[in-house]
Amino acid sequence: MRHIIHADLDAFYAAVEQLDNPDLVGKPVLVGGRPENRGVVATASYEARAFGIHSAMPMKTAAYRCPQGIIITPRFSRYKEKSLEVMSIFRDLTDLVEPLSMDEAYLDITAVIESGQKPLAVALDLKRRIFDETGLVVSVGVGTGKTVAKIGSDLDKPDGLVVVQPGEEADFLAPLAVNKLWGIGPKTAERLNDEGIQTIGDLACQSLDWFTKMFGKRANNIRNKAMGQDTDSVDVRGATKSISSETTFAGDVGNEEVLRHLVEQKAVGVARQLERNGLKGRTVKLKLRLSDFTTFTRQTTLQFHTDSEEQIKNAASTLLELELDPNRTFRLLGVGVANFEYDSETSEPTDMKERQLPLFTY
Amino acid sequence: MKISCLQENLSRGLAVVGRAVASRATLPVTQNVLLSVEQSMLKLSATNLEIAMTTWVGASIQEEGSITVPARLLTEFVNSLPNDTIDLTLDQGSGLLEISSGNSNAHINTTEASEFPPIPTVDDGIAAQVDPLVLKSAITRVAFAAATEESRPVLTGVEMKLDAGKFTMAAADGFRLAVHHGDLLNSVSEEMSVIIPARTMNELNRLVGDREEPVEILMTPAKGQVMFRVQGADRIEIVSQLLQGTFPNYEQLIPQSYTTRAIMDLPTVLRSARTAAIFARDGSNIIRMHLLPAEADSEPPKVEISARSEEVGDNKDVVDLDEIEGEEGKIAFNSRYLLDVLAVLDKGKVALETTTSSSPGVFRPTDSDDYIHVVMPMFVQW
Repeated sequence: MRHIIHADLDAFYAAVEQLDNPDLVGKPVLVGGRPENRGVVATASYEARAFGIHSAMPMKTAAYRCPQGIIITPRFSRYKEKSLEVMSIFRDLTDLVEPLSMDEAYLDITAVIESGQKPLAVALDLKRRIFDETGLVVSVGVGTGKTVAKIGSDLDKPDGLVVVQPGEEADFLAPLAVNKLWGIGPKTAERLNDEGIQTIGDLACQSLDWFTKMFGKRANNIRNKAMGQDTDSVDVRGATKSISSETTFAGDVGNEEVLRHLVEQKAVGVARQLERNGLKGRTVKLKLRLSDFTTFTRQTTLQFHTDSEEQIKNAASTLLELELDPNRTFRLLGVGVANFEYDSETSEPTDMKERQLPLFTY
Repeated sequence: MKISCLQENLSRGLAVVGRAVASRATLPVTQNVLLSVEQSMLKLSATNLEIAMTTWVGASIQEEGSITVPARLLTEFVNSLPNDTIDLTLDQGSGLLEISSGNSNAHINTTEASEFPPIPTVDDGIAAQVDPLVLKSAITRVAFAAATEESRPVLTGVEMKLDAGKFTMAAADGFRLAVHHGDLLNSVSEEMSVIIPARTMNELNRLVGDREEPVEILMTPAKGQVMFRVQGADRIEIVSQLLQGTFPNYEQLIPQSYTTRAIMDLPTVLRSARTAAIFARDGSNIIRMHLLPAEADSEPPKVEISARSEEVGDNKDVVDLDEIEGEEGKIAFNSRYLLDVLAVLDKGKVALETTTSSSPGVFRPTDSDDYIHVVMPMFVQW
């Protein structure tokens, strides 16, 4: 039996700011872009969340709801530093760490438990160490699978600790809203609610046929997760699924030359990040948000994995050309690369791909 | 010009040359058909500048002359007339061609014959004669393997080689090769090889139809042309431009050995391949063939023909074979390439020779050495 921890730092950016500047402790802190520049909230401290503020909310709205909020421009390099400290504590506990972002990771602690420790003790110990050594507070969920662990860490935030005992996964999940389940987005949740399915328990008791009809290829996976039987392993390599870079403009941009230039700039930035991380991707994505907030992504898959500035630039620029229209102005633009070489779910190394062999070798 | 002929004959002649009428008008007069008088017959010619077709219609000539008229208009009008005598009279003054038959009377605008591109004639060169059935069979088995896209123009053609009393036709796109050897009815004095557009070959195949008279081939590589003369109730000449360039040296593409040789009954294996194609078409068009030699004397050797698609499902036919020589073999083909070759061989038995999963598969009919078809496999995970 496996034992998985999901660890999630509470209000991470805001917590780092409060840590570095004690004046901010106990106050509503809003980390994010300036409201006059159409910034959004990246993280709000729990004091600010009391005002109904959540991440991704326009900073303007946040400032309106919480006028006393202290707006802080993010210092990503500092957050990265703290994140590395936390991750190294995770890695002290186990090698099997799958970081999901700067402030979140899965840890496979099966070996630790098998050596005789109790899940609760391991989790408490981890929380204490992180607080002692970094000053940050982490919420932890422990269970026999990723789904249960992740839902657990979220259930009791902040400073949460939820241990789901082996065998109790289904009972634990049953009363929770169906949208808590990984893979059930808002649209799917709506459809399920229409069918009278509110909780994960309602979902779990549906027939396999019903799942197949509803989810197609994903049926088995989602059904197992709903029943608390989640066999997804902690993926050490798959830590990074995509690398992207996006900007929300201070004002709507319609000038095609400016947009082309920005796409190139973003593409170069992404290429450099890929190179630094030793990654090569095949899918190039262009994310756009129109002045009316319509947001969409266009993507293209290259023939080979690449980290080449030139290729990513060309692909992203081609995608942009198709979207340019004199009547369109944009408020956000981003370029990303995904489908990495090791990411076996979505790609195989090119020489393993099914393909027609040529008659002539020119 | 003033001539009379039978509606039936004129209609048939126009249908023949109609295949060479230009469909797009780079040169508008090529949408016309040229009417002229030759050897006391009405001669009909059309060309799209790549291919020219000429045929002769029995007629009574009162006055010689030549003129061109829009092919489609003339053809449709003639087809609408009853089978009776048609009188064609060109009024030199107005330039109108008067066509009358029974109580029907029409006037068609014309363009002078001098504006029509010259219909090439091939009088000299290497002449060969071939049995129409042999020619048709060769074209049917070879021309489909020619490339349809133009990235390597020579591959859109069929290489035709004449050597003593034999001819060889070959065509290849980037993934398959078809080669057919046949006998000529005469022996040519010098070896010669030209590349003829596959389109021309397909037209020729159609025109030969069920005729029994030998087809005459005249090659003049120097002029870049080939002419086929089809005999029978009526005479048809097709003159085609040749494709310039060097045809790939295909001999080296034909494997000289194999590790597995399976003898398959054509109708049976074709049926299974068609079934597999239904499943393959929703995936990547891959049909897998797993050649299984007999495991015991009482067991026949088998081929498993299978296809699968993520969305649809999968299918597997197990077909008993007469014989497998050599070891177990696995090879996957694009379903179209597999169906194409099985369909043209159509009855009897075929041998499939394989070496590895990524080396060419070779199809040969078992009853003759005339034909060989090489298909490159699909690379798949087995």
